[in-house]
Amino acid sequence: MNESDSAQSPKETEKDKNSRRAFLQKIGVGSVLLGAGATGFQSVRALIPDILYEASERFKIGHPAQISEGVTFIEDRRLYVFKEGKTFYAISGACTHLGCTVKYTKLNQPKDIEVDGLKKKINFEFHCPCHGSKFYADGTNFAGPAPRPLRWYKLEQSPDDGQLIVDLGEEVEQNFRLTV
Amino acid sequence: MQFAEQAKKIYNKLVWTWNPGSEKESGDAIVKNILLHWFPNKISKGSLSWNYSFYLGTVSFVLFSILTVTGMILMFLYVPSVERAYSSVKDIEFVVAFGWLLRSVHRISAHLMVAVVFLHMVRVFLTGAYKNGTSVGSNRPVNWIVGIVLLLSTLLLSFTGYLLPWDQLAYWAITVGTNIASSAPVVGEKIRFFLLGGNTINQNALIRFYVLHVFFLPVLVLFLFLYHMWRIRKDGGLAIADHESLNQKPEKALPVKSKTYSLLGITNGTSVHVQTTMVNEEENTVSSVPHLIRRLWLVTLATTAATILLAILFTAPLEEAANPSVTPNPAKAPWYFLWLQEIVTDTTLKLGFITINGAFIGGIVLPTLLIALAVWWPYRDPSGTGSAGVWFSSERKKQNYAFIGICVVIIIFTVIGTFLRGPYWNFYWPWESWPTMPVKF
Repeated sequence: MNESDSAQSPKETEKDKNSRRAFLQKIGVGSVLLGAGATGFQSVRALIPDILYEASERFKIGHPAQISEGVTFIEDRRLYVFKEGKTFYAISGACTHLGCTVKYTKLNQPKDIEVDGLKKKINFEFHCPCHGSKFYADGTNFAGPAPRPLRWYKLEQSPDDGQLIVDLGEEVEQNFRLTV
Repeated sequence: MQFAEQAKKIYNKLVWTWNPGSEKESGDAIVKNILLHWFPNKISKGSLSWNYSFYLGTVSFVLFSILTVTGMILMFLYVPSVERAYSSVKDIEFVVAFGWLLRSVHRISAHLMVAVVFLHMVRVFLTGAYKNGTSVGSNRPVNWIVGIVLLLSTLLLSFTGYLLPWDQLAYWAITVGTNIASSAPVVGEKIRFFLLGGNTINQNALIRFYVLHVFFLPVLVLFLFLYHMWRIRKDGGLAIADHESLNQKPEKALPVKSKTYSLLGITNGTSVHVQTTMVNEEENTVSSVPHLIRRLWLVTLATTAATILLAILFTAPLEEAANPSVTPNPAKAPWYFLWLQEIVTDTTLKLGFITINGAFIGGIVLPTLLIALAVWWPYRDPSGTGSAGVWFSSERKKQNYAFIGICVVIIIFTVIGTFLRGPYWNFYWPWESWPTMPVKF
């Protein structure tokens, strides 16, 4: 009792601060904080999944011959796949602003555009319903809040059965074409 | 019978007299009652008046209570799984007896709560009620900040709530909401991953928002509400009480040293309500029982009645089941987020080669600045104590104009987003008809 009284008295000296009692107190408080921190960490860490039951980013979309000429929209992956004769390419349907699905919009008459000095003629665009972003046929953003062009994804042909494979994990440039 | 006596004792602690015969009886009704003991024994007439506070805080709490009760029933009926969420809500709407009413009351209360909590904030600002007045030991700015957190929690509760039906509105709201988070530099993608519990919007995301909605956020609101109320007592009541005491005779009542009821029982020394005792107490105060309690009941009943009426008039909509491939056109957030939707549309910046996504500027930077401004404001308010607790104080004219200005901008953006935006977020006047849009691509 006497000891604790003197520890709380206002005449606390430097020596008291470094006393065994103060040291043990610090250890006590420290271990409680450490324990609370560790418990907090494990609780939050448990919420960061280590396994995901999501569909693979690489998937087959069918034989080149089965894909119809022009545009095909793969609904569950929000992917526009284009076929021009023997060449294929794929553009993401997710708007680069906030991720809504952009709509393929046919133009009434072809439009002349210039992207990075290249002149092109397009007959469709992509329009986003959420915030009004607009993209040319090649995915280049030209109106609305979208900060960058639509993503292009890599296409390849499966060596085993010849089906086309999309890899959503691998972005490619706008000049990418797969010829089969 | 001892049991009966005990039961009667407990019963007497839960009820109180409506018609006290004496001051003592009136005081006992407050301090001996478990539900009322946190109210002051006596309350100033100004604090009680309708047109000072409009009882907006009380209305907010009543709405929160309605939401809790209806929400608990809905929890028995709703299944938080992506396969069954939509159909269980459909059942609530069309099959469960009175399910439509429960859901409608829950939804309308949520909408009203957002509006009322916002109006409560406006009231507090325009009356300078975040300012410390004359009462000893008050720290009202802290309560203002608690209020801001309560407003944000209310918005988060609404956001997490409207995701649960797993309809188109839900799906696209969560898409846009979590993409706003991911637009933050460096950590954005990680935050989105954590919020969704994965890369795509699926079961993990639904259960996360469900648990936030039914447990974490309501508990947070409840604790903050209790602290909010406790602080009002600590701060000497509503700010108008301070203002009233300024207009009284100059002598101040000395704090009386006595044994008094404090919040935590009997204590020696001065207590919160002793310190705020006003000079002309007899003329300016009335007993809380029955005057305050009667008004609280009136507000409770009126709010409940209005909510049920509105719920019957405006039943809750249910959009088509969530479809990740088709974004509704236009895809609109609920009205209280439409000003943000309008802002994220307009704030994409091009600085030379760098383009900054409007999602980051309008969705993160701007709201953060607004919150910071609100938190900082009471500490920079130079007006005197006389401006605390009075509507449109002339000393605070510029501040009130600035605040009203910000509110008006938010309201204008809300109106544009609600009424003047059509397919592809294009601008349409109300008299212009929207073009018909193909549902599929």
